[in-house]
Amino acid sequence: MLDYAWFIFLTPIIFAPISALAGWKGKNIAGILASISIFISLALSFLLFLSIRNQSAAIYQSYNWFANINAGIYVDHLAIVMALMVSFVSLMIHLFALYYMKEDPRKNIYFGETALFTGGMLGLVLSSNLLEFFTFWELVGVCSYLLVGFWFFKPNAASAAKKAFIVTRVGDLLFIIGLAILYSSLNASGVNDPLSIPYLITNAGSVANAIGSQNLTIVALLLLGGAAGKSAQFPLHVWIPDAMEGPTTVSALIHAATMVTAGVYLIARVLPIYATSIFASDTVLFIGAFTAVFAGTIGIAVNDLKRILAYSTISQIGYMMAALGMVSVIGQSAVGLSLYHLVVHAVFKALLFMVAAVVLLVLMDLRDVKQMGGLWRKMPITMTLFFIGSITLAAIPPTAAFFSKDTIIDASYQYYLANGQGIQFLLPWIMLLLGAFTTGLYTFRMFFLVALGKPRSKLAEEAKDPPLIVLVPLMILAALSLGLGLIQYRFYDFLTPSAEIISVPTLPTYLPLIMVGIAFVIIASIYGTGLWKKMDLSKSRLYRLVKSKYYLDAIYTRGIAERVILPLSSGFSRTEDGFSRSVEKTGGGAMAFGGLLRRIQSGVVEYYFVFLVISIGIIMILLEIMGGI
Amino acid sequence: MFILYIFILLLVMALVSFIAKKKAYAIATVESIIILILTILYAFVRFYGYTGGMVSTFSYPIDTSIGFSFSVGITPISMVLLFLTVAIMSMAIFVSGRESYDRRFYGLMMTTEAGLFGLLISRNFLFFYVFWEAVIIPVFMLIAIFGGEKKESASLKFFVYTQIGSVFLLLSILTLFSFYSNSYHHGFTLNMGKLLSPAFISGYITPGQPFWTDFILFGFFIAFLVKMPSFPLHSWLPDAYTAAPYPVTIVLSGAISLMGGYGFYAVIFPIASLVGSTVAWIIIGLGIISLIYFAMVAMFQENMKKMMAYASAASMGFISISLGVGILSTGYNTYTSISGGIFQILAHGLIMGLVFSSLYIIKLNTGSESNLTVRGLFREMPVVSAFFLGGLMASLGLPGLAGFISEASIVLASYETLGLLIFLVIFGMIITASYHVWAAQKALNGPYNEFLGKVKDGSRGEIAALSLLFILILLLGIYPSLFYHMIFVYIKGGI
Repeated sequence: MLDYAWFIFLTPIIFAPISALAGWKGKNIAGILASISIFISLALSFLLFLSIRNQSAAIYQSYNWFANINAGIYVDHLAIVMALMVSFVSLMIHLFALYYMKEDPRKNIYFGETALFTGGMLGLVLSSNLLEFFTFWELVGVCSYLLVGFWFFKPNAASAAKKAFIVTRVGDLLFIIGLAILYSSLNASGVNDPLSIPYLITNAGSVANAIGSQNLTIVALLLLGGAAGKSAQFPLHVWIPDAMEGPTTVSALIHAATMVTAGVYLIARVLPIYATSIFASDTVLFIGAFTAVFAGTIGIAVNDLKRILAYSTISQIGYMMAALGMVSVIGQSAVGLSLYHLVVHAVFKALLFMVAAVVLLVLMDLRDVKQMGGLWRKMPITMTLFFIGSITLAAIPPTAAFFSKDTIIDASYQYYLANGQGIQFLLPWIMLLLGAFTTGLYTFRMFFLVALGKPRSKLAEEAKDPPLIVLVPLMILAALSLGLGLIQYRFYDFLTPSAEIISVPTLPTYLPLIMVGIAFVIIASIYGTGLWKKMDLSKSRLYRLVKSKYYLDAIYTRGIAERVILPLSSGFSRTEDGFSRSVEKTGGGAMAFGGLLRRIQSGVVEYYFVFLVISIGIIMILLEIMGGI
Repeated sequence: MFILYIFILLLVMALVSFIAKKKAYAIATVESIIILILTILYAFVRFYGYTGGMVSTFSYPIDTSIGFSFSVGITPISMVLLFLTVAIMSMAIFVSGRESYDRRFYGLMMTTEAGLFGLLISRNFLFFYVFWEAVIIPVFMLIAIFGGEKKESASLKFFVYTQIGSVFLLLSILTLFSFYSNSYHHGFTLNMGKLLSPAFISGYITPGQPFWTDFILFGFFIAFLVKMPSFPLHSWLPDAYTAAPYPVTIVLSGAISLMGGYGFYAVIFPIASLVGSTVAWIIIGLGIISLIYFAMVAMFQENMKKMMAYASAASMGFISISLGVGILSTGYNTYTSISGGIFQILAHGLIMGLVFSSLYIIKLNTGSESNLTVRGLFREMPVVSAFFLGGLMASLGLPGLAGFISEASIVLASYETLGLLIFLVIFGMIITASYHVWAAQKALNGPYNEFLGKVKDGSRGEIAALSLLFILILLLGIYPSLFYHMIFVYIKGGI
């Protein structure tokens, strides 16, 4: 008998084709059906949450899938938190999309795909086996591919979808090598169901003994590769900004709130493996911290509203990764730190993206922040929501991100203290601190350019608020952005019983906030006064470096794809053609030889016999020679 | 016995197709669907709750003095491939309806099906060989008569290549035969079970005769690698696939390529004890080279039919890897690798059926199969484009679709043997993903090529057929146990 938890992810998956077919010819029913299915998921998740709230044992049910690989569900506190977040945020975005997509002729396909995506994401969250996890991981990847390219007739969207698919595919295949090492090595040491998540996380130590701790480190690094692809961490982050070509609700759902956090969830899921290897966990920490500041700097130089948010997403996920990387110091409490920021981020980033969706809708898809301005007067309610989202992003108290993000920064200071205060251990803290500074810079810049000042384009002058009813999901999210900070410690304890309390000296505690304050002063003096219009940065080398995204995109497309892979492919196919022609030539030679032989075919049986004997003789001799070797 | 009746019925049907003057298409479609249904029924009756071993064994002695008898026996390997054959043939015949082929075409198609069917049920090497040949000739004629550009040279190339393979196959069979008669004091047999039994193979062949061991293996490998096709014996593939009419391309990629794989698992795997590690590594090497080389070549093709021809060959590279890994490793890694390889033949055949059928409809409706002219097709043919995209996704090994199960089985089990070489396999898979997605971007997404004018989407029947095939691929991706379980049980029980 299937536990009802299965239907958390099965419901949207079952509803996906139904709503796509029922809404044929653009009927509204598609969106409603999809929303209902996700509401069912949310309700079931909540029921499940109530039932396992006070118990520490997980719900685990699995069946043989193929070979000695099982598939099923594994619901512990970590999974249920994630399931609640995914289904809730997805429901909010679906409700908003009913309005946002209402003019689209293919909205049935849209809702079918988003419902399928949500089902896939919930399936990923509840998976009991890493290969099953991987299956859902790819399912959400392909949904992302389809949805980014939803407006397939836009060449940009088509190429962004391709880029998203290939870049994440690189990460995914690293992931599968990691699984291969685990699977075949554990098979060799006689483990049943080697990829089962409960087995791996409860026996990380014996797994390390069975396959060698060095191999386990490699596994952890390969899984990190997969996570970096999905969660857009350096150096595989290049696909997210381009993925902004899809509908904005898709960016909110997939590229801000849910799918991009799947990588974080993967590492949180198998964190005991990372706990066995300091090297692996430090790599997670440094990659996360580096990405946090790296993406933040690009965010300052971008003018496209959605791309600013995209870079901010990359940077915020860096914080979540960094939190997980501190497992060597704070143990499993890292999961709480990371997941708390994940949930808070999902809420406020979904809010910000939906505000962006509203802005883009009234501005006819104008995305350049320099053409906006003065929107606060034109659309006060939307911009109030934007304000709430922005201060949450900048982590100003008392918003939830202040609690979630600054605790991570504090923890990185604790990492420095715990590791004997070597200067290299201070690096993550410095990077995360600078990340907070850049967050302040790009957030305030975005807000000043969008909401304050005077309208700088005709479209911006004529902007007005949408009907209030469609903003209800945004308001709910805004309320949560402000209020989620209240449950900080209960959240930590729910994920990790008796979670460690991070406490660091006073100065480091307040430094992030001071940094944000400095950022505010800088931005206010440049963008609040109109000084920015007179600045010409195009000569500055640093600006050009940042503006061109540190040339990474160029290295991938022009350097690797166009200079290495394509010429290789061209060379291979020329070889192939040559090969084929030489085979034909040989064939032609054989024909000519046959013509020569035809003269011998006189019909005299004796001749045939002689040839037969000679041929057999030659074959025998050849065989003898070869046998002698 | 039931399987034998199906086979006899199939032979009669092939004959009927040849002589029926009118409605050749309708007759062939009905015939192939009847065979499909009967085969599924048979599979359900005989393999539901399968516990191991060979079923439906039957033997009719013809000339016992030289060990010549008509023996039949069905293992899960042949069952899976029988299902693939009949499914692919029905699909190929069904989609051919838009072009008016005559009775010769359908007669030859049914003969091909009969040949494959006979090959898969035979447990006697003589019949194995006869049917092996019987498949080649109708396919050769199909390409030579009904093919497109360069059909003469393409069909000839196909024929010569496969014929060379067959010669080696015959030599290996005869060598085994003579070894058997020597070691069992003039006991003549061509029974596959006896000639490939571990007792005979390990007891009488290996000691002191390395040359003949290699000779036997060499012959089998050449014959099977040509059919697969594997690098470097593939030169017939691009020509034959592109010159053949689409229904025959579907048969070539789905059904003809299974012969090589069937040979691998039904003939070579039982005598794996003869395969030394060098030979196994050569096979793995050929598999990896095929995977990367064909993927690289495919990336540069503008003609999508040719591109998918190379893609088909590239994914057959997994089968070589699977066999080599299966021979070199032990325990569950072997079981998973080999089962994955067998499942890969099935998945590959179905997926290529889907890809080529949808491409066929695109070709018929737009008049082109080139990436340069077919652009932005989603606007005009949304449904067929979606199936084509589904086929491409399945072909690149997307989880949830059949191809993933087999590729995952093979890759997961391979690390213990391959070590860091696994990165090459993964590199091949990345290239594969890239050009599939790239082709989809060019052909389906982006602005529509207005020069194609207004084109129609597929007809209802076509869409229904494509849906069935896609649902089957999806079903096998989600619930692979449908076929995987019996293969796994069989392999685990020891062949």
